[in-house]
Amino acid sequence: MAVNETLRVLRTLHYDAAHYSLFLQAGTIGAATRPGHFAMLQAGDGLRPYLRRAFSIADVTTVAGVPALEFVVKVQGVGTGALGRLPEGAPVPVLGPLGVPFPTDDLGPSDRVALVAGGIGLAPLVLLARTLAARGLAADLYYGGRNENDVLKRADFERFLGPHRCRYATDDGSLGRRGLVTDVLAQALDGGTSYRRVFACGPLPMFRTLAALLERKGLDASFAMESEMACGFGVCLGCVAPTSDGRFATICKEGPCVPPSFIDWKRI
Amino acid sequence: MAVDLSVQMGRLRLKNPIATASGTFGYGLEFAEFLDLSALGAISVKGLSLRPCLGNPPPRICETDAGMLNAIGLQNIGVDAFLAEKLPELHRIRATVIANVWGDTEEDYVGVVERIGADRRVAAIELNVSCPNVVKGGMIFGNNAELLKGLVARVRAATAHPLIVKLSPNVTDIVGVARVAVDAGADALSLVNTLVGLAIDLETRAPKIGFTTGGLSGPAIRPVAVRMVWEVRRALPKIPIFGMGGVENVENVVEFLIAGANAVQVGTANFRDPSLAGRLAGELAEWCAAHGVARVSDLVGTLRTRPREDHRFA
Repeated sequence: MAVNETLRVLRTLHYDAAHYSLFLQAGTIGAATRPGHFAMLQAGDGLRPYLRRAFSIADVTTVAGVPALEFVVKVQGVGTGALGRLPEGAPVPVLGPLGVPFPTDDLGPSDRVALVAGGIGLAPLVLLARTLAARGLAADLYYGGRNENDVLKRADFERFLGPHRCRYATDDGSLGRRGLVTDVLAQALDGGTSYRRVFACGPLPMFRTLAALLERKGLDASFAMESEMACGFGVCLGCVAPTSDGRFATICKEGPCVPPSFIDWKRI
Repeated sequence: MAVDLSVQMGRLRLKNPIATASGTFGYGLEFAEFLDLSALGAISVKGLSLRPCLGNPPPRICETDAGMLNAIGLQNIGVDAFLAEKLPELHRIRATVIANVWGDTEEDYVGVVERIGADRRVAAIELNVSCPNVVKGGMIFGNNAELLKGLVARVRAATAHPLIVKLSPNVTDIVGVARVAVDAGADALSLVNTLVGLAIDLETRAPKIGFTTGGLSGPAIRPVAVRMVWEVRRALPKIPIFGMGGVENVENVVEFLIAGANAVQVGTANFRDPSLAGRLAGELAEWCAAHGVARVSDLVGTLRTRPREDHRFA
């Protein structure tokens, strides 16, 4: 059940010129949010940007004791720029929580899972890490970016999962291993590590590599897919991806969290 | 002051002039959690075809200044699935349903209309002859007087439902096209569908939309749509008109009514705010009350134009 409500900006935390966390009042959306859900946020007066923007609900937390939704945002254009400039107290129309969340209900305390993030793809994994940790599950994080600045919220992940369970990779070697995060995961899997499920979010090239790797290893997975959306609740049909059964499926309604076998990776 | 919001569009009576536009409102039911569907003037559902349609490969949409481009390609579940799976619930909750229909050929259009038959749960048929995002059918019918005349006449003969023809703005002479549709049997017109546009990714020099061009909608097109409603109203004083194109608020509704629309359809704004259409009837009643308008129909076609005088050369 999605809610269309106006929530106020509680705080904006800028990590660098390109990344920030936007904290909004939790409203009634907070209590209904599960890891992998997203929300549509309106920035500005409705002319530029015109459409709401889709963001993973990164965390359900508090700001100075006030229940809050956290969105981790990479500045990419008009919408992400405008949202980052909103002053504290500014009203933001929000529609959420939306979409199919990560499948976690069937996981037991003895299950070990992996979280794989590329760049801003950390967003849906923060609340997942918090939730899994609260349930006592062991989760390993594999998180890659171009450089150290791309790898966000490390303190939160390390607090939820334990520092020894967080592995990083960067293109320039400024943090963790130099290279791709999928290579770090592949090495772990080749070394005998196995996971009940792999949760992932990142850019398309990462998803492609990961889908092939996980299929080879026969591991179950859920990918939080990204797509440009106009509505976020299945009516504009703008965000579709080609599926393995030959359809075009809405990422907003049938996703964003789907098993990799759902997607036709040759056509996407 | 009690304001009469009802509108009579030929045989089609609406409780208020706020409808929702095809392609922007799904099958209506997706909006049930955001507004009261039974309180809308009407719901024009996603364009229905004889067989289910997968639509175009992505990318299908991109935002533009004060609007968006789309080339969805008329993805829909098909008329049979609509009648079996969506219409019963729409009827149960007392929604006023307009079935928007399309096809690649005249036979396809007639086939869809025949499937609907005399089903009274459908209040009217809206003929889409104006979709710019398909390689066959759609706008090809709407931009060719002979094809349009033949199609409207055949569909007219195939249904007893009120017949609305939704026209394309991508024409030189909207009045000419409107006359053809009305002469061939249209009971009402929907003005207008999207304007063909192109947006380019500068880095890749590729179109932002997979279909290359897309249909432009949103506030960016409103003045074009209002002008076309006005032109058709001037030429055809009696024909019922749904005005649409960038309706975002009650002022936009009133503007369309003054230009000559009897009712409006809210379109792309449904994506931005799924509750919006549910608020507009109440806001329209307030606007009318504040302006001493007792019946909303009294606003229709009341544009006060100034004579165009030519003083360019002394």
